[in-house]
Amino acid sequence: MTVITEAPADAPAPARTPALRWILPAAGLTAALALPWLVYPPVALDIVALALFAIALDLLLGYTGLLSFGHAAFWGSSAYVTGLIATHYGVPFPLAVLGGAVFAMILALPIGYVSVRRSGIYFAMVTLAFAQMVYFIGYQWSDLTGGENGLQGVPRSFFGIEPVETNSFYFYYAALPILLCGMAAAWRIVHSPFGRVLVSIRDNTPRARALGYDVDRYKTIAFVLSAGLTGLAGGVFAISHGFVALTELHWTTSGDVVLMTVLGGIGTLWGGIVGAFLTVMLADQLASSGFHGIDLITGSVFILVVLLFRRGVWGTVRHQWQRRGSARRP
Amino acid sequence: MESKRMRAGASALTMALLLSACAGAGPGGGGGAFTDDKLVLAVLNDQSGIYKDASGPNTVKAVRMAVADYQQKYGDKAVVTKIEVTSTDHQNKPDIANTKASELYERGGADVILDVPTSSAALAVANQAKNHKRLFLDVSAATTALTGAQCNKYTFQWAYNTYLLANGTGKTVTQNGGRKWTIIYPDYEFGQNMTKSFTEAITKAGGTVQESIPTPFPNENFATFLTKAGSSAPDVIGTMHAGGDLINLVKQFNESGLKDDGVELAVGLMLINDIHSLGVEQFAGTLFTDPWYWNMDAEARAWADRFLAETGTRPSFEHAGNYSAALQYLEAVQAAGTDDADAVIAKLEGKKVNDVFLRNGEIRAQDHSVVHDANLARVKKPGDVKEDWDYEEIVTKIPAAEGFPPAEASGCAMTS
Repeated sequence: MTVITEAPADAPAPARTPALRWILPAAGLTAALALPWLVYPPVALDIVALALFAIALDLLLGYTGLLSFGHAAFWGSSAYVTGLIATHYGVPFPLAVLGGAVFAMILALPIGYVSVRRSGIYFAMVTLAFAQMVYFIGYQWSDLTGGENGLQGVPRSFFGIEPVETNSFYFYYAALPILLCGMAAAWRIVHSPFGRVLVSIRDNTPRARALGYDVDRYKTIAFVLSAGLTGLAGGVFAISHGFVALTELHWTTSGDVVLMTVLGGIGTLWGGIVGAFLTVMLADQLASSGFHGIDLITGSVFILVVLLFRRGVWGTVRHQWQRRGSARRP
Repeated sequence: MESKRMRAGASALTMALLLSACAGAGPGGGGGAFTDDKLVLAVLNDQSGIYKDASGPNTVKAVRMAVADYQQKYGDKAVVTKIEVTSTDHQNKPDIANTKASELYERGGADVILDVPTSSAALAVANQAKNHKRLFLDVSAATTALTGAQCNKYTFQWAYNTYLLANGTGKTVTQNGGRKWTIIYPDYEFGQNMTKSFTEAITKAGGTVQESIPTPFPNENFATFLTKAGSSAPDVIGTMHAGGDLINLVKQFNESGLKDDGVELAVGLMLINDIHSLGVEQFAGTLFTDPWYWNMDAEARAWADRFLAETGTRPSFEHAGNYSAALQYLEAVQAAGTDDADAVIAKLEGKKVNDVFLRNGEIRAQDHSVVHDANLARVKKPGDVKEDWDYEEIVTKIPAAEGFPPAEASGCAMTS
C-alpha cells in the first residue's frame, strides 16, 4: 500500500487562512449550482453522484488506508433497494434513497466486520469476493431485480411537484442537497476526533492499538459509514436514470470509482469531485463525438496521472500551493 | 461574529443563485410546426456487438434511403426540408439504451427513435418515449411486451414479434414430427419472451417442451448448455438465440455430435446475415420464419438492388423494416404537417399500408402492433444457390391474421 502512504492526507491546516476556508466550499457550491447550466443536467447529476461515491471510497482508501475493491456492492444494492422502494411504494424519492443507503449500511456491517481483519491486497480481494456474491444474487434473483433486463421504469416521485418529476433540470436541484449532505458528512467525519483516529490507524496501526484504540472496530465503523454514503449516491443515481442495471453491481463499477479517486487524489476528499468530473466529462465528450475506445483514453490518462502526478490532480495542486505557502513564511 | 456574517452572506448568495437557476430554465421551444425547424430521425442500435450485422450501421443507410425517397417524392411540397438522420450505439445494454434514449429526445432533439434491437433495451426506450411523449418505432426488438403489458401510445412495433416466430417455426416443426422439445434461450427479455411464445405454440400443435435452459447474454461457450439439452433426448433443440450468439451456438451444435444422435436444431430467429456468416451448408433444409426476404418478389428485389449498391450487402428484414418505418413516419409527418408526436400518431393509427416491406400491412390502433404478411422459409441446399445471398426458398405465406395475435389478446391497455 505504498501509494497510500505517499499521499499527504489531511495535511496540517494552519497554512489556510480563514478566508480560504470559506472560499473553497463557496466556490464548490457555486460550481455545483451552476453545473446543470453548463452541461446536460443528467450528466451533471452523474458527476455529483459519482463524486460522492469517490469521496465515500476515499474515506476508506485515503483516511483509513483500506483499498476496497467491492464498493459496487453498496452502490448497486442501494440502487436496487431505492428503485424497488420507489416502484412499489411510490414514496418521495429522498425517502427511497434513504432506504437504499440504510440497506447498504446493513449490508456493509457483516462484510466490513469480516474484511477489516485483513489489510492490503487481502482486504481488496475479500471485498471483491463479497461484491461478486452480491452481483450473483442480483443476477439470479431476477423476479426481484429483473436480472439482465434491469429494473425498468423507476418513478421519480417528489410530492407531486410536476417539474421535478419530469424535468431533469429541476430534478438536479432536488437531488443535489442529498448529495451535498453526504459530502458534508464525509468532511465532518474526516475532521472529527474519530477521523483523527482513522488517520492514526492508517499511519501506524500497532501504535494506535497500543494507545488503546480498538482498531478493528474503528475500521468497521469507517467501512459502514463509507457504504452508507456510497448508498446515498447510488440511490440518487438510480432515481436520476429511472433504471437500475446489473452494471451497478459489476466489479468494473468498483474499479471505476477507484480510478476516479486515484485520478483526483487520494486522501483529499476534493479529489473525488475532480476525478468524477474529469472521468464523466471525458466519457461524455468522447461518446458524443462518436469515438468508441473510451476506456483506451481514460486508461491512458490514468497511467499518466499515476506516473507523473502520484498525488492525483487535486493532490498535486494542493501540494504545490502548500509548498509555496511554507516557502514564503520564514 | 465574522464567520457568522459570512455564513449568512453565503447562504443568501446560495438562495439567490438557486432561485435564479430555477427561473430561466426549462426546455426552449420554437413556435413553428417543427421544433428547431428540422426533423431528426435517430437510429439507436448495436453498432459494434453481436447484433451489428442484423441491423447496425446499414440500418442508418436504409433510413437515409427512406429520407431520400421522401424528398424525391414530395420535392418542393415537402412540409419539412431539413431532415437529419443520427446514429447511436447502445451496445445491447438496457441501461445504456435508457440513458441514450433520454439524451436523444432531450439533447439530440430526436423526433423519433428507430430500430433498437435487444428487447430489454427496447422496453427501456419505450419507457423513455412515454416519459418524453415522443415516438419510438421499434423494428428489431421482438418481445410481445412492447405491444402487450408494457404498450404505450408512443411506441409502435413495426416488423415482427415472438408470437409470429413461434407460430411459424415452432408450430411447423412440431407438426412435421418434432414433438419433444428442449429450448435453450438467452436469459433476458427476448429469450424469455421467445420461450413463452414457443412453448405456447408447440403445446398447441401437440408437442411438449421438456426443459428450458437459460444461458448468459451475450455468451461465447454453449458446450455445457448443449450437453445438458441433449441429455433429455429431445427430438428438437430449439435455440432462441440471435445474431453472434446464434452463430456461436450453431457452430458448437454441429461440432457436438448431437446431430448424429438424431437431434434436430430449430432456430427461433434467423436472419439472412446469420446464414451468410456460417454458409448455407450449416443450415440446409432448416425451416424458419422470415418476415421479409429480399428476393421474395420483384418489388423487394428492386429495393434490395439499391441497398446492395449502397452498402455492398443484401438487406435483412430488419433493414427493410427500418426503411419502411422511416418512410411511413415521414408520410405521416407530411400528412400531419408537423412533427408533433400526437398529431403524427393520429395519422399512423389504423392506417393500412403496402410498401417494400409491409404487405397487407396495418398499423393497428389498439396495440400499436404493425401486422403484415410474413413467410415461412427454408434454407436452400448448397447446390441450389444461384447467386450471392440466394439462400432462401419461400415455402408458404403466413397471412397477417394468422401470424400476429389478435389485438384483443395482446393484453395492451393503451393509456397515453
